[in-house]
Amino acid sequence: MKEKVHLFEIGLVRGLIGMTLGVLIGLGLVSGIRALLGLPVWNPEAAWVLAGVFGTIGFMLMVGVMRDWIKWALGEETPDFPETDPRLQGWAKYLSVSYDHKIIGIQYGVTALIVISLAGLFAIIFRTELIAPGIQFLQPQDYNTIMTLHGIVMIGGMLLGVGAMSNYLVPLLIGANDMAFPRLNAFAYWINVPAVILLVGTLFMGGLETGWTGYPPLSSRAPLGTQWFLLGVYFIGFSSIFGALNIIATVMKLRAKGMTYFRMPVFVWTAAATALIALTATQLIGLSFQLVMFERLFGMAFFEPAKGGNPILFQHLFWFYSHPAVYVFVLTGLGVISELLPVFARKPLFGYRWVALSSFGIALVGFLVWAHHMFTSGMEPYLRVPFMYSTLLVAVPTGVKFFSWVATIWEGKLSFETPMLFVLGAISIFLLGGLSGPPNGVVATDLHLQDTYWIVGHFHATMFGGFLFPFLAAIYYWFPKITGRMYNETLGKIHFYMMLPAFYVQSLGQMQVGLLGMRRRIADYDPALQIEFSHLLITVAAYVIGISLIIAFINFAYSAAKGKVVTTNVWRSRSPEWALLPTPIPAHNYPEPIEVVGEPYDYGLEGAVYVRLSSSAPLRETSEPSLPPDTAVASAD
Amino acid sequence: MFRNFSRSTVRVLIASNHALFRHGLMSLFKKKLGVKVEIVAEVTNFESAIEVLEKHEVDLVIVDYDDDQLNQEDFLRRFVGGGGQKRIILVSLSNPESAMLYDRRELPLSQFEEWFEGWQEASTKLKVSSAGVDKRNNSSRSNRMKHFVVAGFLVVVLTVLLILGAGQVRLLPVAASTQAQPIDQLFRLMFFAIAFLFSLIVVFMLYSIVVFRRRKGDESDARHIEGNTKLEVTWTTIPLIIVLGLSFLGARSLAEVERPDPKALEVDVIGMQWTWRFEYPRYGIVSNELVLPVNKQVVLYLTSQDVIHSFWVPEFRVKQDLLPGGEEFVRTLRITPTEIGSYKVRCAELCGIRHAYMESPVIVVSQADFDVWVAQQTGESTDPVERGRKWSNQYGCLSCHSLDGSKLVGPSWLGLFGSEVKLADGRTVIADEAYIIESIRNPGAAIVEGYPNVMPANVGQDLSDERIQDIIAFIKTLR
Repeated sequence: MKEKVHLFEIGLVRGLIGMTLGVLIGLGLVSGIRALLGLPVWNPEAAWVLAGVFGTIGFMLMVGVMRDWIKWALGEETPDFPETDPRLQGWAKYLSVSYDHKIIGIQYGVTALIVISLAGLFAIIFRTELIAPGIQFLQPQDYNTIMTLHGIVMIGGMLLGVGAMSNYLVPLLIGANDMAFPRLNAFAYWINVPAVILLVGTLFMGGLETGWTGYPPLSSRAPLGTQWFLLGVYFIGFSSIFGALNIIATVMKLRAKGMTYFRMPVFVWTAAATALIALTATQLIGLSFQLVMFERLFGMAFFEPAKGGNPILFQHLFWFYSHPAVYVFVLTGLGVISELLPVFARKPLFGYRWVALSSFGIALVGFLVWAHHMFTSGMEPYLRVPFMYSTLLVAVPTGVKFFSWVATIWEGKLSFETPMLFVLGAISIFLLGGLSGPPNGVVATDLHLQDTYWIVGHFHATMFGGFLFPFLAAIYYWFPKITGRMYNETLGKIHFYMMLPAFYVQSLGQMQVGLLGMRRRIADYDPALQIEFSHLLITVAAYVIGISLIIAFINFAYSAAKGKVVTTNVWRSRSPEWALLPTPIPAHNYPEPIEVVGEPYDYGLEGAVYVRLSSSAPLRETSEPSLPPDTAVASAD
Repeated sequence: MFRNFSRSTVRVLIASNHALFRHGLMSLFKKKLGVKVEIVAEVTNFESAIEVLEKHEVDLVIVDYDDDQLNQEDFLRRFVGGGGQKRIILVSLSNPESAMLYDRRELPLSQFEEWFEGWQEASTKLKVSSAGVDKRNNSSRSNRMKHFVVAGFLVVVLTVLLILGAGQVRLLPVAASTQAQPIDQLFRLMFFAIAFLFSLIVVFMLYSIVVFRRRKGDESDARHIEGNTKLEVTWTTIPLIIVLGLSFLGARSLAEVERPDPKALEVDVIGMQWTWRFEYPRYGIVSNELVLPVNKQVVLYLTSQDVIHSFWVPEFRVKQDLLPGGEEFVRTLRITPTEIGSYKVRCAELCGIRHAYMESPVIVVSQADFDVWVAQQTGESTDPVERGRKWSNQYGCLSCHSLDGSKLVGPSWLGLFGSEVKLADGRTVIADEAYIIESIRNPGAAIVEGYPNVMPANVGQDLSDERIQDIIAFIKTLR
């Protein structure tokens, strides 16, 4: 008999209570101190900032994710490997702290889908507003709030999606039993929850008006909500940094016997490259947002020119993270593409080493291109041409990936289950995103394109092709592994065939109106531009994408409960999680250590083995004879 | 096989208890194969082999297949399970006419020839014994060539179709400046390149999807092709050259776009939430519309009074942000209008609530019309109401305060003078002269109920007392 779990024992519930208490304490503390000092009691900026900080701390304390650390601080012993409360079953398990990387991965994934849907809903709202010139129903102030939230909440959602994939997959793919630091892993997930609450909370705090870029001086004078926006992003940054640290340690230390770096599944390469970016660049956005926060709170002047600051400095700091951040989403997605293509093409990944190293090529060059967001910003003019060269260089390692993918499927034996459809769709869309890059990477043409809908179209193509489509492909592909049940193939195909063309209409439409003069982030546009019809199409396409995603969610929910039970290697994959792990996966993954004895993608090579259980019989007794006399015979002259 | 070794000399370890085997192999290498080989050591058991391997770098381990005293499996397991850099082959010389090789890979016949080509390229004289393999491979090779040619043809077709198709769609506004010429040229070049590269990848993908689909019931894998270094180098180098070339062209266009004309007309452009002001220092004109003579370069000195804005007239193509902060942050933009007509400058950097409406007319006229306009602007009206109307326009008041009673960002001026105004702090005041002066000089002092406190404080600093009086005179007439 399992014990009944009280509502209060569920982590999320406790966390939310903790957050509420923290917010109240923060508000009270500021007001109390001000009262003691004889100042006017109510100072909304200071009070709400401290409330946000205390709320987040309250959440993290009460959710229970820091329990072991606190015990250590108090000198108490804890088990070596933190165990999840065994009384928590079913839903309660997923709503509470767990240290199992698979559960954390699913927590990341479900949260990502919720947060991405919320951000998508914001997009649908303002797309409806843009269906025709003039103000339909959304006043400019609310438009700015919703548009900003769409951007930043979507970025949060994508980071969660990246966390979902790397947390769930990396340990499985390298034959590890968990991540290197399970407690840090849980912390990195849970801090996202209060952070997203802060972001959405801005809706009720006067809104936002800066766009997700939060450029000062606009952000230093924008409504109060900006403070929680800055704070929310700041806390999400913690998640990125801790998560990245964990991935790097895991990849470096926990690989199975025989898994050299060049025998890792290629997704692990991209996860490592992604982690390298997140670990080293995230500080910059945290820092720049913190400085704006301090400008507002303490009247400091880092970026406010009236007080001797420099607004361009913010943009450098901001983009030094925010450009590489693009590769955080994209590299992970490209890793999924490279990982899945060989399985569905039954052919080795073409040029494995080139594909693996190109991820690091993209990551490293990605650090040197940030100022291409600032060609028209008024930074020193001589910086523009060097940054144009470095920007276009990204095309080289990216090109290696495209050509290698095409060479992988060329002469393959392709089958088109839903994950493969999304992978192929992702390649074509990411191609559109990549090819629409050079016009804005070249200074002369960017003078026209900067801050227009062309840019909107360009980065939506890179994000859909580089992240969203691969993320969906990954969900469909690993769905049987995660849930032990098969998704519905028909619904999956309907999802794909609605989403792909709709996306093309949306993205190409955005690029066209941008070229014709549609600026970014405007609530209303001039009918004289004659772009109404394109806007109508874009809006319709956005709705189609929304509906297709609803179909996908129905598919996921229904199939997780009622789908056909799967226990086998449905995709006939060579990778260890399919080849060796039972479905559903046991608590600490591999029941016994595994060993890598071959190359990861040797499809079509008869008898080639990639991984096996370490305890499996010695070579001569396995099904692959060690000395086949007739496969490779040569005669000497 | 030898091509995989980066060094020119191959370091070999031979493991056998038979001196004949070792000597035979050495002479084979040295005399017959002509490969530069360094025999690192000869060993007779696994343990001593390990010792040698720890001390020396070895590329290839050759193990005597017929030696019963050796456990070949130890060798295989060690190298197959380990780092994977070293190669091991088992060689049998029991038959004096042939050598039997075992590489740790196992190859189906179709791939054996390829594997063997590598062997041959390393100038070995070994020959394939099976002639049947040759024929099968030749026919599939011509097949492969055919796929390639058809797909290549389709790439050309799709490229042409895309370029023709794009010609049917409206993509760029009229080009109305000298600066637009090189930019549009570059756009055209890029669209062609995009059309080609998009077709290249998409056609090869679609072709694979159609032609290389798995037949029903076919559970077998495809041909085992791991990669091709030559191809990888090619598709790294060619894009590299293309992007370097494109960057070069981009830099050249940029230089052309920014070429200064020393006789350019100078205009100060001041951006503020949410309007534009244009000042012509040579003529002492302040205007809320930018009037420019055609075919004459104008250099705009851009500044902002509050947040960052961006000056963009889509028909002129070029764009530049306006920064607050005074002298140090003034930026310039050069434009030579080439087409007479009316355009709009549209703020391209999000600047707050009414960002979307931060648009002002840009009017390009002939030099003669421009001179007439200058004459009109420099003469000042004697009617204070007329002057007031002009100031309200020029200083951007009317972008937030309507004249017809409609609610914009700030309260409308219609019927304002003398009316009772309810303030946010609960007071009620009469809108008299003192109230209006205070509202301009110190906008935050009295906020009308239902309106945000957003009026920039520096609006008043630029207005003289006389001009404020003119504006009040103008407001009095709005009933």
